[in-house]
Formats: sequence, C-alpha cells, structure tokens
Amino acid sequence: MTSLKRSLGSDPLSSSISSKVFVRSTKSGKVQKIVRELYLRQDIPCASKLCTACLATAPRDAAGVLAPFVLSAKPAGTKAYPNGHYLLPDTNALLNALDLFESTSAFYDVIILQTVLEELRNRSLPLYNRLIGLTKSAEKRFYVFFNEFRLETYVQREQGESINDRNDRAVRRAGKWYDEHLSQAVKAAGGNKKSVPTVVMLSDDKENLKKAKRDGVAACGLKDYVSGLENGEQLLDMIAVVKEGREIRDARAQEELFAEYYSVSKMMTGVKNGTLHQGIFNVSPYNYLEGSINVPAFDKNLLVLGRESINRAVQGDVVVVEVLPKDQWKEPSTKIIEEEALNKNENPDAEDGEAVVTERERKALQEEVKKVHSKSSEGRPQPTARVVGVVKRNWRQYVGHVDESSVSQSVKESRKQQTVFLIPMDKRIPKIRVRTRQAGEIIGKRVLVTIDSWDRDSRYPVGHFVRSLGELETKGAETEALLLEYDVQYRPFPKAVLDCLPTDGHDWKVPASTDDPGWKDRRDLRGLQICSIDPIGCQDIDDALHARPLPNGNFEVGVHIADVSHFVKPNNAMDAEASIRGTTVYLVDKRIDMLPMLLGTDLCSLKPYVERYAFSAIWEITPDAEIVKSDFTKSVIKSREAFSYEQAQIRVDDASQQDELTTAMRTLLMLSKKFKQKRMDAGALSLSSPEVRVETESETSDPIDIKTKKHLDTMSLVEEFMLLANTSVAAKIYSAFPQTAMLRRHGAPPKTNFEELANQLKVKKGLELRTSSSKELADSLDTCVDPQESFFNTLVRIMATRCMMSAEYFCSGTQAYPEFRHYGLASEIYTHFTSPIRRYADLVAHRQLAAAIDYEPLDASVRSKGKLESVCKNINVRHRNAQQAGRASIEYYVGQALKGRIVEEEGFVMKVFSNGFVVFVPRFGIESLIRLRDLAETEPESTFDAEDYVLRTSGSREVEVELFEKVVVRISDVKEEGTGKRKVRLELVKTGGK
Amino acid sequence: MPLDTSTYSLALLRLDGRRWNELRRLNAQISTQAAADGSSYLEMGNTKVICTVTGPAELKGTGGARAGGDKADVRVEISIAGFSGVDRKKRARNDKRVSEMQTTISNAFAQSLFTNLYPHSSISLSLHVLSQDGSLLAACLNASTLALIDAGVPMRDYICACTAGSTSSYSSNDEQADPLLDLNGLEEQELPFLTVGTLGNSDKVSVLVMETRVQVGRLEGMLAVGVDGCKQVREILDQVVRKRGVKILEGSQL
Repeated sequence: MTSLKRSLGSDPLSSSISSKVFVRSTKSGKVQKIVRELYLRQDIPCASKLCTACLATAPRDAAGVLAPFVLSAKPAGTKAYPNGHYLLPDTNALLNALDLFESTSAFYDVIILQTVLEELRNRSLPLYNRLIGLTKSAEKRFYVFFNEFRLETYVQREQGESINDRNDRAVRRAGKWYDEHLSQAVKAAGGNKKSVPTVVMLSDDKENLKKAKRDGVAACGLKDYVSGLENGEQLLDMIAVVKEGREIRDARAQEELFAEYYSVSKMMTGVKNGTLHQGIFNVSPYNYLEGSINVPAFDKNLLVLGRESINRAVQGDVVVVEVLPKDQWKEPSTKIIEEEALNKNENPDAEDGEAVVTERERKALQEEVKKVHSKSSEGRPQPTARVVGVVKRNWRQYVGHVDESSVSQSVKESRKQQTVFLIPMDKRIPKIRVRTRQAGEIIGKRVLVTIDSWDRDSRYPVGHFVRSLGELETKGAETEALLLEYDVQYRPFPKAVLDCLPTDGHDWKVPASTDDPGWKDRRDLRGLQICSIDPIGCQDIDDALHARPLPNGNFEVGVHIADVSHFVKPNNAMDAEASIRGTTVYLVDKRIDMLPMLLGTDLCSLKPYVERYAFSAIWEITPDAEIVKSDFTKSVIKSREAFSYEQAQIRVDDASQQDELTTAMRTLLMLSKKFKQKRMDAGALSLSSPEVRVETESETSDPIDIKTKKHLDTMSLVEEFMLLANTSVAAKIYSAFPQTAMLRRHGAPPKTNFEELANQLKVKKGLELRTSSSKELADSLDTCVDPQESFFNTLVRIMATRCMMSAEYFCSGTQAYPEFRHYGLASEIYTHFTSPIRRYADLVAHRQLAAAIDYEPLDASVRSKGKLESVCKNINVRHRNAQQAGRASIEYYVGQALKGRIVEEEGFVMKVFSNGFVVFVPRFGIESLIRLRDLAETEPESTFDAEDYVLRTSGSREVEVELFEKVVVRISDVKEEGTGKRKVRLELVKTGGK
Repeated sequence: MPLDTSTYSLALLRLDGRRWNELRRLNAQISTQAAADGSSYLEMGNTKVICTVTGPAELKGTGGARAGGDKADVRVEISIAGFSGVDRKKRARNDKRVSEMQTTISNAFAQSLFTNLYPHSSISLSLHVLSQDGSLLAACLNASTLALIDAGVPMRDYICACTAGSTSSYSSNDEQADPLLDLNGLEEQELPFLTVGTLGNSDKVSVLVMETRVQVGRLEGMLAVGVDGCKQVREILDQVVRKRGVKILEGSQL
C-alpha cells in the first residue's frame, strides 16, 4: 500500500505555488469556501526602461509580441526626489484623488499594483474603469504590476491580520522590491547611484506611512507630495476633501443635521416585505425642495417634501423611502421655490448653529402645509415619503459656477484655501461646497466639479474642483459645459478609430469593375432617377428616394439608405466608439459626429452625382398605396440631385417642370399623403413640440435671428417613406431573428399621466380629452380647438406630448410581442433603419437586415441578447441626452440672439402656480416663468384658485391670470444669477381679453 | 475576488498567475490501490481523480464466456464525490453529462487498447473524482491511461488529454484573443474551451470535445495549443511510468 501523501519538500515547484483560500457568501445566503491555486513566478517584468534583466524574461503573447516597457528611464524629479521617481499609489490615494492622476501636468510614471487595482475594483467600479483607461493611454506611462503573482512580492496574510493591513503590507513589500530591483538594474548597466529613481509610495493612511518609514520605503502623503510639485496649488484642489473635512468636524463634535440612513440589510428586508420602497429620486424642476419617486407599488409618484425628508438624496440617486403617515400627506406644491432666492447669503464656512432647514425655507413650506390642510376635505393629497437610505449614488461630474457672494472679498486675491459654494447648472442639484485655493481665479468661469460625499452633519454635499472650462458666456466654454452636462463624447476620434477608415480616404470610389468583391450581391441601381431631400445645408445624407411607374399601373418606390455597415465592421475600434457615442448630437453651431467626418459626410453620405453604396428597400405600391411586395437589397446608386425641402417643394409646385425627377417626386408626394391618411386612421398621433431654428451668421456663427420651423409637404413626404422603410425592416428582422432583433417601442402612457391635462381642459374650456387608446386621443386632440385662437390646438398638443412616455430601443427577446407597439405611430412593430450615419441603432438594424437577406453572416455581437440589451440601454440614454443637449443649445442661442433686445410678443399661460405662472412664447419657442415678485416693485398680494387655475393679484398690481390664457409679454434678456446662464426674461405687459 | 478575465491583456497573466501556454501542476502516481488490477491517482491543479482498473476479466452474467464479441468491452464508470465541488451536491444517478464523459472515455480506449486480444471479456475503469477545478474530462483520460498501464493492458500508445481555451468570450469577439492551455474551473465557466486528447507523441487526435461556442477562426489556434499541451502531459505521465518501472526492476515493490 502506497501512501498518497507527499512530503512538501519533494515537489520542486512547491515554493512557487500558493493557494488562495477564502470564504464567500452567495446571494441566497449560502456560504462557500473557495480554494484557488496561485502560481508565483519570477518573470513578471518591472517595466522600467532602465532594466535589461526583465526584458530578457518578459512575456510574449501567442503571436510572439512583446509588450513594450512603459516606465521611462529618466522620470521627472521633484525637490524631494531629485533622482527622479516612480509613483506607487495605494488604494486610498486613488480613491481620493483619481482626478489628480488624470491631470496632464504631473503624475507620470506610475506603478499600479495588482493588489491596489483589485481593491479599487471592489470599492468603486467607475474609478476602476477610469484607471484602466489611464493604463491604456501611452503618454501617461501607467504600468500595472502584478505583484501578487511575483514570488518576491507575494504576501501571505498572517494570523489575525486584517485584509487591509495585509494589502498595505503588500504595497510596501512591492515598493521595497522595486527599490532594490532598480538599484541592481542600474548597477548592472554600470550607472551610478544617482541615476536610480526613487519609488515613492503615495498614501493617505498615516499608519501605512509610518510603517513604510520603518521598512525603509520612500513614502509620502498625497498632500505633501502635491504641494512639492511646481503647480501644486492648482492640483491640491483636486484631492477629495472627504478625509480632512471630517477630521476637522469631528473635533468640533457637531450635532448631526440629518437622520442616519438605515443599514443595508434593514433596507433590503424592508423593500422585500413591502414596508419600504425603492426608486429613482427625481427633483421637481420648479421646486428644489420637492422630489418625487416612482415606485412599482403605487401608480402615482410618492412625494418627498422638504430637506429633512429628502435626506441628502441627489437627483438621479437610487433611494429607499418610507411612506409617511396619512396626516402628513400633501398635494404637490403649487409654489415655485428656488434655492438661490431663499438661501442667497449663506456663508459656506459657517457651520455653527446651522439648521437643516433655514427659517425662510420653513416659512415657505409652512404656507404650503396650511393650504393643504385648509382644503384637505376635498383636496387630493398625495402620499408623501421620506428617504431612509441611498442604494446607489448617481453622482457624476457637474458643471456650474462659483457663487460669487460666497467668496470673501479679502481673500479673493490671496492663495489662502477657502470654502466656496458652487452652483450647478442643473437646478435640481444642490449647491456644492468646494474647498479651493483658486477662488479668485475661478470666479466668473464655468467649472467642473464632482461631489465627494455628503455627511450627516453638513447641509450641502462636499465636492472638489476638477477643472475650469473657461469664461462664462464664451461660446467655447458654454458649448463644452453643455456637452459635459449631457455626457456627450466630444473628444476627437482616437487614432485607433481613424485607422479603421478606408486607406484611400477621400479618393475612395465605388469600384469600377463589377467583379470587385465590394460588388458581391449588390444590385446595380445606377440607372434609376434617385434624389435626396434634406434640410438646407445637410451634409450627412442618409437617405435618397426614387419612384417610377410600372407597366401594370402600380409604382415602384425605393428608399435608399447609406450603407454604413459596409464601412463600419462589427467589433473594431470604430464600431466600439460609435456604439459608445450612440448618436450624432446636433447643436446650433456644431455637430458632434458619431462616425468620423470622412465616412459621415463623404464616403457614406449619398451625395449627388457620385456613385455610392446603399442599402435599398424597394416596394411595389398600387396607386391606392397598398403594398404589393417588398424587397431589400444592397445596391449601388447614383443620386441625381440633393434637394433641400424648400427646393423640392418649389419644384413640385411649379407645373411647368415636367422632368422625370419632378414627376417622380409628385408620385411620391401623392403616395405619402395616402400613407399618412392611413396612419392617421389607424390612430397615429400628430404631436407637437416647440421647434425653432436659430439662424446664424455663416462666418462667426453668431445668432442673428430665430425662425419657427415651417412645415412643408416635402417634409412629410420623406417622413412617410422613412416610416414605411422602418416598419417593413422591423418586420423583416423580427421574422429572421425573433429573439435578438433591434426594435423601437413606444409604450402607451398610463392614464394618470393625462389626468391633470384632461382636468384642465375640462375646467377651462369644457373640452374632453379621451385617452383610452391612441386613436381616441388623436381624435379628441383634433376637437381641442379654440375658434378664436388657432394656436390653442398646438399648445394642447405640446402639453399632451409632455404626458407621453419616451420611446425606447429594445431587443425583441426582452418583451412580449404586444409590447412592441409604437403608441405614437400606431404601428405594431417599428425600428430605426434610415439614419445609420447618425444613429447606432440603425447600424445594428442594417447588420441584422443584411444577415436576414443572406448577404453576410450575422456577427456574434448582434446575436447575443445580453450584448444587445446593453447596447440598447446605452443608446437610449445617449439619445435622450442628445435631444436635451440640442434643446439646451437652442435655448442658449435664443438667449444670445435676444441679447440686448427688447421685444413684445404674444404668449400663452401653460401652468399656474400660487406665486407665479409659466408662459410659452411660440414665436421663439421659449417657455419661462413669471414670478409674482416680477410683476411689480413690491410683491402683490395674491389668491390662487387651484380648482379653476386662476391666480388673482391685488395691491401693487392687479391682474388675473388663468390657464391657457393669451398674454402679451415683454422679452428681454438677463443673466440668471443662479445658473450663470443668459436667459430670456419675460415680463407681463397685459393679460388677454378680460 | 479575483480580477475578471478581461485583465489578461494588461500583463498576459491568467487568473491564477500562469501564462497562456502553461499547464497547471500535474502530479500523478500509479499503483496506489494494491487490491485493484491497476490503479492511479492524478492531480491537475485542484482537480483530483482516482482511477482503478478491473480486468481484462470474463464477462459476468448471462451467457458466460460465450457472451460479448470478439473484442474486450471497455466499461467506464465515473462517480463524482459530493464534496468535490464548491457546493456539496448529490449527482442524479444518470446524469447526462457524466454518461457522456463515460462514453467518450470508453470509445477512446476501445480504439487505443488492443481489445482484440481479449475476446468475451471486459475491462472496467472506475473513476472517482475527489475534487473538481476544471479540465475534468482530461484528468479522467490521463488517470485512466496510467491505471491501464499499471494493469498491464496492451495499448498502442498513451492517450493524453488537456483542455485549451481562448482568452475572451464568444460574444466579445475580440480578434486579438490568445489561445489558453489547461483551463481551471473559473476559466471554464467564462471562456470557450475544448478538450483534446492525442495518441502518444503523434499529432493524432483521438478525443475532441467542445461544448461552448467560439469563432471558427480561433479554433485552429486553440487546437494547436491543446495538442502541444497533450505532448507535455505525455512527457509527465511517461516520467511517472518510468519511475515506477525503475522501482519494479529494483524489486523494491515486489
């Protein structure tokens, strides 16, 4: 009988094998013991260019490629480390100041240890991803050293040692090893001792620093290190204030201002058994002290009123709330409460005696309560709730400006560190307390900050300054601010992306020979009379059309879409970038492309007079607009002309024009009208949103005028055929890939969304809004007319649009077929296919359609449901952001165009509060608030009749404002104190008829 | 928590610190159970298997010596211990996965053994999995080879097996993916992989099993690495056999 036992010494490898044993608990509460092998090795390079020994053993991948060494041979030195130094941050340093490491003025040659990387990943995934991004950028010279796999730097956890202590020890060990290794390397190369760079451990942990000193590892606190740098003062601001701030306050032993959050387990059980509710926290745009969250348990939103109930939740956070007892239920506020109006003169440094709710805030809220109580007999109080915990913070970087009044005059010029308030551009975000030494410099600038924490003892979140974007109201700074605020990726395309472009560049042409592989399975449609119709000045032409009569009396109609999928192959760098960008963003003066210019405006764009690859959908249609058959094919086309909507309209209307193109357009127009009628009969909604166009001077792109968009027949011509193409493609890809088709749906809005509007119409105009189906809604919207006021119908449509859900992309496998419906278009199934140059969803649809017609095999990435879902999630967000950014850009330019002008215009009252009302001016598409205190020098007395939506004022000025009323307003521009935006300001000149 | 497999590209290191072309520690012994006709114990990393061979022996049951064909029957039985995985779990009696492994092993050895020398008889392999951490089928094949050698069943050559995978998953579709050798349990859960077994030092593939999806372009690289790994495995197994041989010659074990 032989024994299976081996003596440890007999195994030659035993010294280099270790195992990781740990216990983990699963989601279901089971405890598992995990054993993993760990192979320790000696061929993990130090990656310093000084070292030749490591180069010999450095690993190669399967293709035999060696990763280049990144740490430079002559790293920068500082006063403290004149020989040059490599940085070795520990986890805390990265957690507190990753912004610093991203700055371009310092922090080069950084060694990131595996221990640190893993710890960071467990602490914060976004920071981890940013760090990975840094290690991939060549110029910052970040190197990930896998210390846990290197024999010399592997550290075994000792009995009774906490995991944090063990990790700190691992960092110190790695630092020591690097030190010794580098001096050996330099000695081997015959260099003198002076040229050995120091390895400096950066840490914010005092204990760790002390131990490092004892172990003989050069170490330095983050703050001390940064102050030793040349531009230290600017960089110092970027260190998160978390720690330091807390220390100071601890000393003062302040009382806590906010209630403590519940523990995670308490929240989880609460949510599970239904006593607590989880949802996304949304702040009302009119009242910063009123939030609402939508939870699955109720169909109406829960209100969260007042600073104490909001309990440090910030717009967008995922929070857990507890419903308050019924006697505290309230109506949503009818009052406008703006932060800067109430808390204008707060001192950011003064912490003592600070109450959570200031006296004035309390007063403002009191009035609310009183009113609710007085009518609670018939009022409709909504359930209210208070936040008891935050599941996930959704903090991002915020753009704003420094509140000038919070900067003390005496230190404006000095370099002394002081605390200032930063007012974010987004009104729903509270002021952020920022400590800075550059207060004097950043006044009057757009700045970027992040929130670090919000402790119980602080009224405002604490953040740190990231960088300055430039002077307020300069075009560059404002545009960048807007892009940052809406998270638009506006950086130029990286080289890896540009490398994916065709090598011929601008000279690329459709191959002349039809034997070329590019012609494989492509139909030659160059002979057709194809033209495109787009807005003026459009460069990225996605679509072109043709129509011709067939001998049997029917028509052949073709929609030709730029064949972007030919140029953007799945899974290369360009595809990855496009999927992140998701959509092209159109600003008034700028376009942020999804694809590089060469493709978007040249090679893909269906420009006239040149041959281009296209993806065509061709139908045979009867004169009654019935589709006989449809066909999809890749093709080569040659557009005859690129019209603008106006040109096309003129040509169609001009009876003397009888050429082939014009008659084709007339055919298309005739068919499109029939299609539209059919759609309307099926219950499609014609909605409205305020749309204006800013005319800019061509040279300077300064705004000169604002025009409301005119609607032309040719616009709906193009629109109808695009809808037709989208619906037929949707049906086709769904039949080919029932689980993974990329589709777009528009959910039916819940009834409650329309309640208020229906009530308003009933009370004010005696009209009825029926909302049981889209057809009903469409019909009842048609009846909402005011014979005296033609615009009234549009106004109602605008307001109805705001009650709708937003349409979204989804992967067909994630929803049941009835859920596919597009409510607004009254279509059973829908997708986006017609604008692949500017939308990523269309590109995916193109790939799926190409596979559905057996043109090419479907790539794995568009076949996996999980992957598609994440793509959809991203492009839905990007799409919404792009729209908002576009609107914000128009808003900014309208403000600029009106700068210094005073105009009187007609407007309509859209919303009435107890202390103000919202007026919409169709001429400029602007919507703005008029507060009671704007009406006259001293704020007039007012009574608000919530049932009738009438606000009456008396005293200094007597007016009566009711909902839907036509008013005349004086428009001027003013720089808004709060957000630093130049905004239009409306003044009431006179009210309508009465 | 270990890093996920996406960090491979940072330093060309796998989750357990190996390079792409390295085997795990492979440890084997033969003649571990004196009572069996042949036996072996094999560890590939944390995957541990005991194999015992009974036979060649006369077929039991109906028909006696006349039953069976003119070749010996190779029967394989795998039992997976309840404690072998992370969670204690009892396998169902006719687990499809296990029966497929049994068939695969049985078919492979039916080809490589000279079964025609033993008509009307059977060779029973009994495999006990003590611990699982990836490459289970490969470990079973290797253990069986050793046990059959110990039992003295004539064979054409060793069947040596190992797994080969690819550094990124099917859906990520990364063209720069490296092939990987000898996956551990964690890697098997995330990455596409195949099990390949070759006959001795030749490039003749006798077993090839793949249950995950992978782009066809990556398959060739994976297979080449796998076959190369099999040769390394053969080298190690051969050492074990030779050591045992030397001992027998010295008479120390007889």
